Formats: sequence, C-alpha cells, structure tokens
Amino acid sequence: MSALSSQVLEEIKELPAKYPQPRSAVMPALDLAQEELGHLTPEAMSEVAVALQLDPGYVEGVATFYSLFHLEPTGKHRFYVCTNLSCMLRGANEIVAHVKQSIGVTHAEQVSADGLFSYEEVECLGACEFAPMMRLDHKYHYDLTPERVDQLITERRAPTPLTPTLSPGGERERKPRAPRKKKADG
Amino acid sequence: MAELRGSFGDQSQHLLTRWFGTPDLHRLAVYESKAGGYTALRKALFDMKPVDLTNEVKTSGLRGRGGAGFATGVKWSFINRDAPGPKYVVVNADESEPGTAKDRYILENSPHMVVEGILIAAYAVGANQAWVYIRGEYDEPSRMLTEAIDEARAKGYIGPQPMGKDYPLDIRLYRGHGAYICGEETALLESLEGKRAQPRSRPPFPAVKGAWGRPTLLNNVETLATVPWIINNGGAAYAKLGTDKSPGTRLLTVSGNVRKPGVYEVEIGQTFRHVIMELAGGPPEGRKVKVFWPGGSSAPVLPESMLDVTTDAEALAAARSMAGSGGVIVMDDTHCVVRAAHRLLKFYAYESCGKCTPCRVGGDWAVRTYERILANQGSQVELDTLQRVSDGLQNGRCLCGLGDSAGWVIDSTLRHFREEYEDHALRHECNVGAVPANA
Repeated sequence: MSALSSQVLEEIKELPAKYPQPRSAVMPALDLAQEELGHLTPEAMSEVAVALQLDPGYVEGVATFYSLFHLEPTGKHRFYVCTNLSCMLRGANEIVAHVKQSIGVTHAEQVSADGLFSYEEVECLGACEFAPMMRLDHKYHYDLTPERVDQLITERRAPTPLTPTLSPGGERERKPRAPRKKKADG
Repeated sequence: MAELRGSFGDQSQHLLTRWFGTPDLHRLAVYESKAGGYTALRKALFDMKPVDLTNEVKTSGLRGRGGAGFATGVKWSFINRDAPGPKYVVVNADESEPGTAKDRYILENSPHMVVEGILIAAYAVGANQAWVYIRGEYDEPSRMLTEAIDEARAKGYIGPQPMGKDYPLDIRLYRGHGAYICGEETALLESLEGKRAQPRSRPPFPAVKGAWGRPTLLNNVETLATVPWIINNGGAAYAKLGTDKSPGTRLLTVSGNVRKPGVYEVEIGQTFRHVIMELAGGPPEGRKVKVFWPGGSSAPVLPESMLDVTTDAEALAAARSMAGSGGVIVMDDTHCVVRAAHRLLKFYAYESCGKCTPCRVGGDWAVRTYERILANQGSQVELDTLQRVSDGLQNGRCLCGLGDSAGWVIDSTLRHFREEYEDHALRHECNVGAVPANA
C-alpha cells in the first residue's frame, strides 16, 4: 500500500517533462504529495524519489530546506502569522498569543485537539502596509485584531454557506483537476 | 483585489502606478485600452533592434530594484545574444526582504505590465523562455500573473509568433517554497533547478552560466515593470527624473509606526522626511520617529536625526546605509532598538542557508548573545561579542549578502544607539521612549 494515490504518482511522473531539466520537478512533486497527505511522511518522500528517479535522501534534503514543506502533521487550517519587524511593531506578538490561546496550543508543532488548527510564526510575507497580517488557507488576512482572529476561527469551526469564499476544506483540500489524458498505447 | 494603500493616479512621479486602481487593470483588454499597454512590446518587436533596446535601458540609467542596484542595461549587455543554444530570463519575484511589499503591489495591480517587461527583456537578450520564480506564499499575485500570462498567450502576444513576429516567446511560473535566501540570485537558480537554495560562488556569473547551466538574465519584478515606460518614452526621458546617478522613480514600501503605511512611488532624491512624515503621515499622535531602516531590514539603520538624507543610493552610501529593496521600516520612540535588532538577528540566523561558516555560526551566536542581554545577564563581554560577531559577518567573509546584512543590523544599531545597548547590557534596564544616544 503506497502512501500516495496512484493518481498523484502519475501526475508526479509527468512533471519532469515540463522543465528544461527533470530535477526541477522535485518541488512541484513534493507540493502534490503534501497537498494529498497534509504533510510529507518519509514514505511519501521515498515515493516521490522513486517516481522522479532521485535518491530519497536528496528529496528529503530539499524538503527540509524549505519552510512551506511540513514534515510533521499540521492542522487542517494553519495560521502563518508574520512576526517580523513591520508586523511586530504593530502588535504581531499579541496576535500570536491570541491565536495560541484561541486554538488551545502552546507551540508551533502542536495541532489543536479537534485537528482543525495549528500555527506558525513566519518571516515577512510581503504585505507590510497591512500589518499585522497572516496567511491562512492560501489567502492573506490583513489588519489583524484579536476579534478578527476569533471570527476566522469561528468561521472555520462551523463552515456555513454564508461564507463561500473561505475554502472550508483548508490547506489540504484537493483542487479539482482536469481528467488525465489516456495514453494511446494504454 | 485588496484595498490600495500607496500610490495611484495621475501624478508626475507615477510612472508605474499611474493607472493602479483602474477597474480591471489586471485584464489585458483594460491594460491595453486604458493604460496604453503592449505598445512598448509592439515597438520593441517591430521598430527596434534588440541592441537598441539594451541601449535604451542603458541610457535610462535604470538600476536594479531588487536590492543590489546594478545598472540594468549593463546587465542586459552581459548576455551574449549570439551564443548558440538556449538562454533564459529569470524573474526574481521572491520578494522576501523584511519590510518590502512593492513587487506584490505591482503584481496584484498590473500583472500585464510585468509580462510586457519580461517579453521585451527576453527579446533584447536573445532568450525565448522566461521563468518567473515567485515566492510560494504569494497565492494571489501568482494567480493574477498566471491569468495575465494565459490572456497574453490567448491574444497571441506569447507564443511561437508574438504579434506576428517570427521570434518565439514563452513565460513560465515556478513557485518557491519559503526561503529568504532565494532572493539571492544564484540561490534562486539553485532552487529553480530543484536543489537546496544555497548560493553559488562566482564566477561564473549567471550571464555566462545561469539557469540550467545556460546564459541567464536575472531581473527583479519592479525593474522589468519599468521597462515598458522606458521603451515608450525613451531612456533619456527616464534619465531626466531622479538624480544623476540614481535616475527615475521607485516604489518605497513604508511600514511600521506610521499613520499611513503604503507602497509609494517617489522620484528618487526625495528626502526620507518627505516619504515618512508626509506620504506615510508620520508616527502616531504623541510619538516621535526614533529610527528607520531605509532599504529593507538589511539596510543599516538611520536615526531620526538623519531624516533629511535623500533616497538615492549615493546619499545613502554617504550615510553608511543603502537603498536596498526600498523597504522603509519606521520605528517610533515607544520601541526598543535592542529588541528590534534581536528580532532581525533571529530572522537572519533562521534564514541562513548554512553553506558558509561565518553566517551559519555568526547568526546563532548573535542571537544567543542578544538573549543573554535581554535576560539581564549581559555585561561588557556581551557588547564586545556582538561587535566581534558583527565584524566577522561583514566585508566579504560570507558567500553572499545575507551574512553582511546580519552584521549591518548589529553594527548600525550599536553605532547609533550605543547607550540603549549599554542600558540593557551594563545596567540591566530598558529605557524605551528615551531619546536615542546619538540622535
């Protein structure tokens, strides 16, 4: 039983052809794996390595270098709260404290008891004119206040049709994909 | 689209941002009909030779807006257009310098302006394919740029015969995955090639051996977004703006303790007093500017007394700082310089790629020293250690600029705010709000 679905493995095998050299496919491939599983397990990284004909240690070396690859489980919704200087000067540390308290975790590796939330303090996200800010579910959220954080959490605890823009599926929601083309020779 | 905080509208210094805020400017049809879009590309492909394009950019005096400020036209001329085999344009959209949001501002407002600049640059240097390396956190800018590229492809501006010209042009996107070091051009190339993003030693320079071993032009988003204006209006017109050595306009991101944070396009040569106190509205009521970072967190700090320094690279160099990425971070007198420096050193230590020893070791060493000082365990020894670590990070001891930047934060805050450091380290007290030592 493999960690990654056969559909994702097939998609990964098609990636190298999109680049001038096949190795460039490693990050997009890890993306697909993480999208499916929520985080990168050793098995998943090995399967990516096999699919791309790379050494498993090499793939893990790439995965551990970049902060957007998670090697431990995360919440379905992960708060990436900027605490670099521009946000810090406008209250980012208070926002982090409020996030931790509201989702009931004490550190970045912990996932909330209901599995819905985790958080991380991140470096500058390049939206300094809206500080303090964070990234959540592939979207930036600006001018944060404790009340705004509470609202975002409440909406995600009970997704309703009234908030259609929110992506209730969170980070791991699978995007719909075009059906794969059948190869002529099967 | 998010609310605009910064420049837009018809003002003489708004070369890039003039049409920002126009409804649907991100759509090709609106970019063409309202903002005169793609006239520069047409002119480039049919009325000018590639070498003319490079010369026009040279004449403009445009300098790279990513941080290093190298002359753009000269960089273009480094690519041997006649060398056989593929050549690439790689666009640095990995905007990660703390306090810098201008490339996001451009991409979210006018992605076609960037696409047009990329296509002109590719034609000028003899490349058929461009890769935009965009930071992974930029979901919205990435989506907008993808749509713009798709629209340009559908319209026939990207493809085997753009606008009917027999010269294939293509643009592809590559998403980063969270690493500040990817803003450094050779680390970016490593990442684009599917590796850990560790800077390369140079030579060879990317112009000779860049992406996938091929000659490569690397330019920042804002730099390329400026190119259509230069081609439309001429390099000489651009060179009339700004100062002699730093011509033109640039987008300054003003953040931190100001009333109107935003991305402001200014003619280079304005004072920081104008930028911070007028455009961004100055600090909140009852507070004073204490210190500012004039060009991203990597630019050595300047105290309030130096608000009349101008925004050109030469004036900033004379003030022992740099123009950098144009990220102006303002801190008022209710905040502690030692704590701010500690936060930035944590950033540089975390983002160190680990390839060269001074940076890998120096950053962590500085953070531990700051922690002792802030825990009231400091003494003269800690102050001396900070200075020594700072010296060890600078002046070419590291493989890339990240180490220097970390050193400059320590060095410049110590230089301008010695007394505040001594309060913490020697007297174990924090006098936040006190008048800075040398200000």
